[in-house]
Amino acid sequence: MTDAGFNLIPLMIVAATLASFIVAGLRARSQGMSDYGLGGRYIGRIGGGAAIASNWMSAASFLGMGGLLYLQGYYALAYVIGWTGGYVLLLVLMAGQIRRFGKYTAPDFVGDRYASPAARLISAGISIMISIIYCTAQFKGIGMIFAWLFGTDYRNGVILGACVVVGYVIISGVLGVARNQQLQYTVLIVSFILPLMALAYKLGYFWALPQFGYGVAIQDLKREFGINFAAPFASGTLFQWVALCFTLMVGTAGLPHVLSRFYVVPNIRDARWSLVWGLFFIALIYWSAPAYAVFAKLLEARAGTVPSADAAARMADIVVIKTAVMGGLPPWMIGILAAGATSAAFFTVAGLLISGAASLSHDIYYRLINPRASETTKMALAKGAVVALAGVVLLIALNPPGLIAEITAVAFALAGNTIFPAFLLGIWWGRANRHGVIAGMLTGVVITFAAPLFGSFLPAVAGILPLTSSALFGAPLVIGVMVVVSLLTPPPPEEMRRFLSEQVHGHME
Amino acid sequence: MRDEREPYNVNIFRPKKGYMTGEVAIIFAVLLGWAMANFGFQGVLRLLAESPDGEGIFTRLTFLAFPWHFWFTGQFLPLWFIILCVLFNIYIDRHTEKHSHRRDRTHD
Repeated sequence: MTDAGFNLIPLMIVAATLASFIVAGLRARSQGMSDYGLGGRYIGRIGGGAAIASNWMSAASFLGMGGLLYLQGYYALAYVIGWTGGYVLLLVLMAGQIRRFGKYTAPDFVGDRYASPAARLISAGISIMISIIYCTAQFKGIGMIFAWLFGTDYRNGVILGACVVVGYVIISGVLGVARNQQLQYTVLIVSFILPLMALAYKLGYFWALPQFGYGVAIQDLKREFGINFAAPFASGTLFQWVALCFTLMVGTAGLPHVLSRFYVVPNIRDARWSLVWGLFFIALIYWSAPAYAVFAKLLEARAGTVPSADAAARMADIVVIKTAVMGGLPPWMIGILAAGATSAAFFTVAGLLISGAASLSHDIYYRLINPRASETTKMALAKGAVVALAGVVLLIALNPPGLIAEITAVAFALAGNTIFPAFLLGIWWGRANRHGVIAGMLTGVVITFAAPLFGSFLPAVAGILPLTSSALFGAPLVIGVMVVVSLLTPPPPEEMRRFLSEQVHGHME
Repeated sequence: MRDEREPYNVNIFRPKKGYMTGEVAIIFAVLLGWAMANFGFQGVLRLLAESPDGEGIFTRLTFLAFPWHFWFTGQFLPLWFIILCVLFNIYIDRHTEKHSHRRDRTHD
């Protein structure tokens, strides 16, 4: 951080934005409106798309992607492609069938489909692990923004940020704030695009659609400074690119909080079309992220302040905001950008902590430990679990293991190696049974962490199954394990095979 | 259509006659378009590369002032995914209507 010091105006804008979501949520509740979950008012296909996009947007989209593009150029487009292409998989292979299966969470689906409490427990454990890893990346983003806002170091920033975000989750919960995802998406898109338009205008590029007008900047970067942002294989090989991209795609189609959007929708046709709108709204942000990275490179080169590789890696995750600072945008506009990033991270953390805590109290405590637990006990346990999970996340985030997008990618790899195969075969192969899914999911966990586990004495493992990109070989391998183990053991219950055939795939007969 | 003594076991590679056969055909067509445009193009980019960095014909050509490969991957592919999803929905909607015995659209 070069511009240390208190950034008062951006800080006020961030605080005002977060407070306004609470006020808007309380007003919506007092008017009896809620578009959250079952029984909500009809919000239409475009509104549904905005909800999908706002559910998806996190610090990884808002900050992490720009940071990796800044460091790695073309190679990091694997994130843009992986996180959009995954929605194709989700739509064609999962969305409609999950709806017809009609279970509410990933552990519910796995537990019921495979008629196995053990499989339910494993998938609940995996979902919680995914939430923790995903939240760690969000905490890193929150920590870096708070450190910048308050002009302090990362450690203080992340501790302060963690307290604020947990407080925000608890206050929202106590007050019963309704979540307005359309409003959230509007704030996110405006706060991401508006500063980019201003930057493009200041730099003299096509500003009306900055996400499509920065091509000249890539050429200027190469001509004036010899920096080749677009070199295809400068930061990684073809294999590494494809492995990363494929991992992010299957991870997208296997992330519990993404899948859960399709369990309970009133009308599957509307849900399918909402997904298209959601993908469009996500793409609006992903078309723009590379422009921030290119402008950052250009501004640095023009000012003659190109940082060392180490310094660049340290500040990459906040480069989106740094670009706005370097570009000389007014403080209020930088504040809007910071408010968008903070909101994206806050809402992701809120969603993941609450669902992780619910899973701990319902899938693990109630289902396995104490089936006679009262609703009050379960609620109290869930509340405690929010704080406990946040504590675990904070401990990891104090020494973040990588960049925001990289940490997130590990969560995608885990989802792609475990939940994705369990759903794919669960829906499309009636013969898959509980032995298969248990063996498969456990194999998936080992594969995901194979690089740190075995990489030191088996370097080939780290090459074939990189931590952020293990699902290219991992997901097919897990599917293979599930098929072989299922065929060697007795078939699943007759009722489930009949249900799959008649309800999930026979709805038109 | 189905043999009553031998209940059908769901298998994406052996879809049930009728609705599911058409649905699976649409799914595989979309997945083919998804994989070819994305992974296929990166493969071609590597094949035609003239340097270890991947410089070649696609990096020299430009479109909308972008190096052609950068435009294709960074801008066209997300658009292509949206197009694929739209096509999938149109075909599934039509397919569903064609097979629907219920005119009240409760199949939605």
